[in-house]
Amino acid sequence: MSDLNTAMIERYRTNFLKEVEANVEEGEWVKMCMQCGVCSGSCPLGKFWAHPPQEIFMMIRAGKREEVLSSDSMWMCTSCYNCIVRCPRELPITHIMHGLASYAKRLGLVAANQPTAKFAQLFWNNLMKKGRVNELKLGLALYFMNGFGEGIKIALKKQKLGMNMMKTGRMNPMEILGGHAVKDLSGFQKVIQKAQELEDARIAKHGA
Amino acid sequence: MTEVVATNETILVVGGGISGMTAALEAAETGKQVVLVEKRPYLGGRVSQLYKYFPKLCFPTCGLEINQRRARMNPNLRVLTMAEVTGIKGDKGNYTATVKLSPRYVNGNCTACGDCEKAVSAEFDDEYNYGLGKRKGAYLPYRMAMPTQYVIDPRLIGTEEADKAKAACKYDAVDLEMQEETLDFPCGAVIWATGWQPYDAAKIQPYGYDRFPNVITSVEFERLADPQGPTGGKLVRPSDGKEAKKVAFIQCAGSRDRNHLLHCSRICCMASLKQCTYVADAWGAEAEVSVYYIDMRAIDRFEDFYAKVRGIEQVKFIKSKPASVVADKEGNPVVHGVDTEGYKRFADTFDLVVLAVGMEPSVDKDSFPVDIVLNREGFIEADPGNGGVFAAGCASDALDVNRAVQHATGAALRAIQVVNGAAGVEG
Amino acid sequence: MAVDKKFAGYLCTGCGIGERLDAKQLTMVATREGKMASCKSHPMLCSAEGVQLIRDDVAAGNATHVMIAACSRRAKMEAFNFTDIAMSRANLREGVIWLRPEGDEHQETTQEMADDYVRMACAEVRFMTVPSGSGEQSLNRNLLVVGNGVTAMASALEAAKAGYGVHLVCDEGVLGGVYKDLYKRVPFRAAPPGVSNARTAPLPQPEEPGIAEMIAEVQANPRISVHLNAKVTKTSGAPGRFSADISTESGGTVTENIGAIVQATDYKPYDAKRLPEFAYGKTPDVVTNFEMEKLAKAANGGPLKRPSDGKEVKAVAFIQCAGQRSEQEGHLPYCSGFCCTESIKQAMYFKAQNPDCDATVLFDDLRTPGAAGEDFYRAGQQAQVTFSKGKASEVVVEGGKLTVKFKDLILNEDTAMECDLVVLATGQVPNTGPDPYAQLAVDEAPTEEEKEAARRALAVAPPSILNLDYRQGTDLPQLKHGFVDSHFICFPYETRRTGIYAAGPVRRPMDMKQAIDDAAGATLKAIQAAENAALGAGAHPRVGDLSYPTFRKEGCTQCKRCTVECPFGAINEDEQKYPQFNEARCRRCGTCMGACPVRVISFENYSIETVGQQIKAVDVPDEFSEKPRLLVLACENDAYPALDMAAQAGGSTISPFARVIPVRCLGSVNLNWITDALNSGYDGIILMGCRRDDDYQCHFVRGSKMAAERLSKVGDTLQQLRLETERVVVYEVAITDVQRVPLLINDMAATVEKIGMSPFKF
Repeated sequence: MSDLNTAMIERYRTNFLKEVEANVEEGEWVKMCMQCGVCSGSCPLGKFWAHPPQEIFMMIRAGKREEVLSSDSMWMCTSCYNCIVRCPRELPITHIMHGLASYAKRLGLVAANQPTAKFAQLFWNNLMKKGRVNELKLGLALYFMNGFGEGIKIALKKQKLGMNMMKTGRMNPMEILGGHAVKDLSGFQKVIQKAQELEDARIAKHGA
Repeated sequence: MTEVVATNETILVVGGGISGMTAALEAAETGKQVVLVEKRPYLGGRVSQLYKYFPKLCFPTCGLEINQRRARMNPNLRVLTMAEVTGIKGDKGNYTATVKLSPRYVNGNCTACGDCEKAVSAEFDDEYNYGLGKRKGAYLPYRMAMPTQYVIDPRLIGTEEADKAKAACKYDAVDLEMQEETLDFPCGAVIWATGWQPYDAAKIQPYGYDRFPNVITSVEFERLADPQGPTGGKLVRPSDGKEAKKVAFIQCAGSRDRNHLLHCSRICCMASLKQCTYVADAWGAEAEVSVYYIDMRAIDRFEDFYAKVRGIEQVKFIKSKPASVVADKEGNPVVHGVDTEGYKRFADTFDLVVLAVGMEPSVDKDSFPVDIVLNREGFIEADPGNGGVFAAGCASDALDVNRAVQHATGAALRAIQVVNGAAGVEG
Repeated sequence: MAVDKKFAGYLCTGCGIGERLDAKQLTMVATREGKMASCKSHPMLCSAEGVQLIRDDVAAGNATHVMIAACSRRAKMEAFNFTDIAMSRANLREGVIWLRPEGDEHQETTQEMADDYVRMACAEVRFMTVPSGSGEQSLNRNLLVVGNGVTAMASALEAAKAGYGVHLVCDEGVLGGVYKDLYKRVPFRAAPPGVSNARTAPLPQPEEPGIAEMIAEVQANPRISVHLNAKVTKTSGAPGRFSADISTESGGTVTENIGAIVQATDYKPYDAKRLPEFAYGKTPDVVTNFEMEKLAKAANGGPLKRPSDGKEVKAVAFIQCAGQRSEQEGHLPYCSGFCCTESIKQAMYFKAQNPDCDATVLFDDLRTPGAAGEDFYRAGQQAQVTFSKGKASEVVVEGGKLTVKFKDLILNEDTAMECDLVVLATGQVPNTGPDPYAQLAVDEAPTEEEKEAARRALAVAPPSILNLDYRQGTDLPQLKHGFVDSHFICFPYETRRTGIYAAGPVRRPMDMKQAIDDAAGATLKAIQAAENAALGAGAHPRVGDLSYPTFRKEGCTQCKRCTVECPFGAINEDEQKYPQFNEARCRRCGTCMGACPVRVISFENYSIETVGQQIKAVDVPDEFSEKPRLLVLACENDAYPALDMAAQAGGSTISPFARVIPVRCLGSVNLNWITDALNSGYDGIILMGCRRDDDYQCHFVRGSKMAAERLSKVGDTLQQLRLETERVVVYEVAITDVQRVPLLINDMAATVEKIGMSPFKF
């Protein structure tokens, strides 16, 4: 358990809802939920979730901090926005789900082999290098995410697809050599840096 | 030419549904002169289209019989049907109302013998049955319609059909030359009782009202259950006439929802509970009913009725706002969602899905012929700024029949206060 | 009153009557047998010309009593609407030709049916008198409003605005009632137009309660006399001439003359001592919603402190439905309808004062109906009030901490929360007097044991509020759970004590805004009752009816049936124990007339004779004719219209031997009519009234029930006459029984065919 996590437990004691409101993106809207369940029913991946959104919201109100933050439910969200569109109370459910995931990660509460979390990190790392996603590298990184042997297996399985993509010009093998960057890479990096500063300031204000 | 005798002590009531009738009758029975204006060809409004009332499960026509007798016998009351108020000018105690009368093409000679109906063959969607059935081009809107006078559909005018209707009438009651009229008359106070309309269920996209014939609205279900309705009271579904034994009721269909109506329509929980009894009464042990709800709003003594319906074994309650309705190959609607009490996902197949649609004001926010204070849902708020115009019934909020009548009775007093002032009685 | 009766008959031959029936024959029946001086025919009597024919005869003094043989009395009511004359209608269209098949083989019996209806209508009108009202009272423009709170004040103000005087009787030293200590009220309105539907939109907040302003307005109004610390010690009379004794603060009594009465006594807060499971009484930190309001008012926007130690509340739990919506002994089975928004408002007090305070509402169903209601729920959510769907089972007090144990219904687990203060959302108990039927039960109980039980029930009843000097008890009859509501959905102000109207939470549970609106409705009804009483006209549902019951004193046996059976408690007993009718309290249902075993009670336009003579007028062929006679007495509001509509719909036919007589209420049916009919050779009798159980549909409340009780004894009569019991049946019929009513009549025809004709034909 991270120090930050311990600090936050200390800070908010029993009131997990307040912690969420302060630290999770759009977390202040959790209380607008009237427990109708339309989001839970509308989620295309709903059946794979241990706790659907409306239940997560109730768990937050009930102070089930451990269960919520270590849950993999919010990692299941694919941002289809069905829930937001249908929510009768206009809760930004998708955003809250991502906010919870992000917060759990900051606190170090994400399981080490959470695949969505891993993928998200790979994606981010990849993106930061050139300001755009290098699909070839990202694809390979993804194949080898769970070890070398596993990676080879997947790569062989996808071989035909890869060849076809190269043939049709959908994938450039030369990208493996570093790949091209966005036009103004330093500008991009400045934008990211500024955003990070803002986020850090926000986090500093609320504690995490 | 239609004549209306009125003064600035006359009370104008706009809308002849249960609220308007009540306000008009209560004022008239207190000795006031009243003009009642109704857009439809008959009085009674949406109440006349209900099979039963909750929570007593008694029949609206029973009270309507009394109200219609009251209206027929009262010398203080003037009723104008097929009439719409298009303008109200002036101030509290001194208004001039403009009313447009549409031609009925049938005059007071009509004995409701029905010969004109037999003579014509053209048929149109029956508004009284929400389009679930057909009616003739010459028609009595429904059996107890008041005035007991036929109507010729304007679409018949200029056709041979119209001439057939005229020829069939032995009493010179069919008048094809009738024209639209516009009347101006004075009044001291106005009671606005234009009521509600069901929310357009097609706008609730995930429930597929516009795609699946076996997804219907609660108001349509009333017509199905009514022995006077298009199926003779048989609970059968629209797609194939199959008996509707397994029925789902989806609450808050369009209500309490920022994508549709923000307000709670109040009546839908009770209406669905009532409709549960229709299904249970029709099929007994074979009935299977599911009610999907967010909060069951069986307020005050209505709780007794909720308890009674909960006691019916064939009725299940699921706390859930369903996510969507789809249809299977046989046309059976399948309701998808999550039972929020303990997180249980469901995909339940039914014969028929009934959407408990919300109530919205029947007059559009921008269409009032007079300045009036509304709320954001378009209901009229009581406000001194309204002058001598008072809302009655569902024009003021989503109300059940009892509360609408209660509200309308109060509205009658407020109008009387104005005309008593105008008459100097109030001193 | 017309002394010299001039009888005139009119026959309409339109709508197929002329084609299907022998008009000449009908005219002859009307004049020769029906004793009409004339009987004019018209091909369309309801036309302007036809109506003028009648009007001219009336104007010329040739017609004071008019018999119209045409369509049903429910049709063309506007055309045949004559005041100042007596009128009867023979129903030849819906009643005969539309219910009988065409064809020669049916012609004879169908014509006989029509002949009989003309005979009956003639007989009826011959025995009618034009009612004229008794002039028992004049216009009294003063209302008595009983109650101490918002509803009573609203009623008084509404009446005063309409120009009526008010005596407002308040049983406390100050006005305000249960809402005296209100800190703020739930907003009366929804968001105005222009406010978006976004979750951040500004929504109406708790607002100033307005009670003090209302009190000031009442006190400043010259039309309102406020009686403080006062009680109504006796109320007697009738609408238009009520007399109310009001005890004064100084200990004396004043008597006021009153036109009509509004009872707006609101409610008593539920006694939370009945909720030991929630630790009420064990610690001052468990309070009711009413006590919470006092706390908030005392804090006046400052920190809200808990009563036990003055510590600022950091966490508060609201337990909804405390002692409500529950079948448990001592709990209220109903929902009080105001506690959800009250709790939201009170939770917002905490949030407004200290946003860090945890305010949790534990609810099962959150009930915030309408536009204003749902906006207020959202406003509470915006204020960060926590709403948890959960059912509280217990409050545990330990040291300074309160623990609320509850079942979280969403997470499906038993759990608990800690807090500093618990607010119990308790309900409304109607502030009513003793139920008159509980009082009447003492007199009416058949055994001494039951009498004793009735006395015991009465002993724990609350004290009277109106102290009515009525034969049937001191207060308004109760409907359910102690509320004095109307039973009718269409007629919420229907009252069982004419001229006395209940308003506000005494009628059914409701919030303040509804109570204020309700006061306006009840006040209108009270004003209307006073105005109509002055005209001698009846109240709902027979509005404007000028007739009223009179009785032949010399024939009266003082059996008291009329005084006990009157559904409206209209009849008192005088010093000599004779019935004392109060015209303006009477609703003209005729239940007294039906109850009277010695037939001494009658109305001018509806009497033992007007119906009895119709029964006698029917031609009863002899036993060997194979033409039985079936008498149908049908409630004019439900069964009769159902039969009319069956005729209108087509496809139904009824036995040509049936003779249908509409009655005002089955309660008005006198057993003597039945006995007479049986004695004169009728073969079967069918009585059709309205539903009479808890969900009764009888528009005279107890009329149908009283009739059923009376008719349960008709078997004895049949046995005495040695007749089969199947010959008399009573049905509950609804107006929608369009298909069923003809079948019931035909069933009786089949029964008679099976058991044979009555031997009592002469």
